[in-house]
Amino acid sequence: MGKKLIIMSHVSKRFGDQLVLDDFNLYINENEFITLLGPSGCGKTTCLRILGGFETCDEGTIEFDGKIINDLEPNQREINTCFQKYALFPHLNVFDNIAFGLKIKKLDKETIHERVMNILTMVKLTGYENRAVSTLSGGQQQRVAIARALINRPKVLLLDEPLAALDLKLRQEMQYELKEMQRELGITFIYVTHDQEEALTMSDTIVVMNQGKILQIGTPEDIYNEPNSRFVANFIGESNILSGVMKDDYLVEFCGHEFECVDKGFKKNERVDVIIRPEDFDFVPPSKGKIVGTVDSLIFRGVHYEINIMIAGVEYTIHTTKYRKIGDRVGLSVEPNNIHIIKHIDHA
Amino acid sequence: MRRLRPYSLPYLLWMGVFILIPTLILIVLGFSNLQLYNLGVFEITLVNFTIFIQDQVVSALWNSLVYSIITTVICFIIGYPVAYYLSTLSDKKRKILLAMMIVPLWSNMLLRIIAWEKLFMPTSIISDLFGISFDLLGTPTGVLIGMVAMYLPFMVFPIFSVLEKMDYKLIEAAKDLGASDLQTFVKVTFPLSSGGVISGVIMTMLPAMTSFVLPARIGLGKINLIGNIIESKFMKEVLGSSGASINQGALISLLLMVLSVISFVLITRVDKEGETLI
Repeated sequence: MGKKLIIMSHVSKRFGDQLVLDDFNLYINENEFITLLGPSGCGKTTCLRILGGFETCDEGTIEFDGKIINDLEPNQREINTCFQKYALFPHLNVFDNIAFGLKIKKLDKETIHERVMNILTMVKLTGYENRAVSTLSGGQQQRVAIARALINRPKVLLLDEPLAALDLKLRQEMQYELKEMQRELGITFIYVTHDQEEALTMSDTIVVMNQGKILQIGTPEDIYNEPNSRFVANFIGESNILSGVMKDDYLVEFCGHEFECVDKGFKKNERVDVIIRPEDFDFVPPSKGKIVGTVDSLIFRGVHYEINIMIAGVEYTIHTTKYRKIGDRVGLSVEPNNIHIIKHIDHA
Repeated sequence: MRRLRPYSLPYLLWMGVFILIPTLILIVLGFSNLQLYNLGVFEITLVNFTIFIQDQVVSALWNSLVYSIITTVICFIIGYPVAYYLSTLSDKKRKILLAMMIVPLWSNMLLRIIAWEKLFMPTSIISDLFGISFDLLGTPTGVLIGMVAMYLPFMVFPIFSVLEKMDYKLIEAAKDLGASDLQTFVKVTFPLSSGGVISGVIMTMLPAMTSFVLPARIGLGKINLIGNIIESKFMKEVLGSSGASINQGALISLLLMVLSVISFVLITRVDKEGETLI
């Protein structure tokens, strides 16, 4: 990773009584694909708008390339935005939409033409330059919006849920293309989404947010495998969250049994939450499993079955390719490194 | 909703009786020598068109054009900023300002014209209180002020309604791409409000062009617009004076009607949902 390009320190923002960003601290590296991930209303879009210059923060500083940019207007920032519903200019055709930023800079006609044509090739819209934007499909409009934002060659591209309006297939295609573009252009992408799959697929770094606070920053693998809180565990994929007691370093008790694990540093007999991903359970014969229960329900999900198993009054969710009938008695095992222990917080 | 159809009949009938039939009568009158008190004479003729070379009519047509254009330009210059300002206001402030513009419109137009007439007299309540006398009756300035005051809201409303519905994200997008406030206005805001401007221009210009009470009262009859000519043609005929021709009045009326229909078509072209038609 390159140097730190953006540093947000102690940024707070209120709308009326509501604290939307609460002492927000984040740095963003050059050439990084960073995703702000969280439920709606968590402050991720506000954060993006502050970076774009559309909102001002109440407290804190935003540093860009070594300079404080708190008071700079959007048109003075080397940051461009790809808006949520594209915000294409309805009175301009595809070419003029994309050329907008260059015409503002008063570049000569040939340069504008060349650069627009190049970027049209990049977003695979060659031949569409004279089309009215209203005649384009959602995916094509999306591409125009990206081209328009990239034509000024910004250092940073802000993307506000750009794929939310597209259907699943197209969304997956665009995820791949966006990632490719970012790699090729070497531009920092700051991406806002509530879709955890999108975040995991595209990001170098994921910032999980809730209620204006950052809960966890890390690579997709970190966030998925080592969630640091119940919220993160629940928000990123499905999880079984069980209460347990830490017996010793590397030894945790839950479901009435002791299990080996890879965590340490807790107090003896400290109450903890144990997180196990549904795909990390394996079936074993009931006689060999520490955890034994009966199959309660079963749903076919395509790649796998989602099986709910009742064990001592608690329901466990398991993703497996192996079929079990409802009512079957099954034993479950789980590898020590798939048992994730986090501090127990009441009502977290 | 089929069952509600019969209830639309009264008004449909009304439109037939009081719009279609009179229009037909105007056409017949305009293109013939038919006289109201002598139905025995009837010949289709284009002789009524000679009215358009009469000095009095030519100057009235010219006045209508000049006064309506000046009124429209002034209304646009004053009205656009107001429409823009309205569209940026919070809901509450906007309602207060809109009410201040709409409520006076609900009072009778003739009353408002008479009010201006009183203000423009050499001695008025203004001259009594402040010692300022406008004395604008019978002057072009007086007529223009009256027209602007009368038709300004019809410029503001359509522009406002377009600006209000404009996606604010488009302005943010323009700024994001490096445009200054002025560039954003010139390249995005104004072009996108052009539909409202066209509606506003038509809705101001047309009634200004055809107004006749206002030039008669404030202009003291010294400034004749085409409406005043139509009035005199019809009134003199009714009163039995000479030099009047109901046929010529009908022909001029038809001209104005054609202009109105063309304007309506223009508005519906630029504004497909009819949102600027108040």
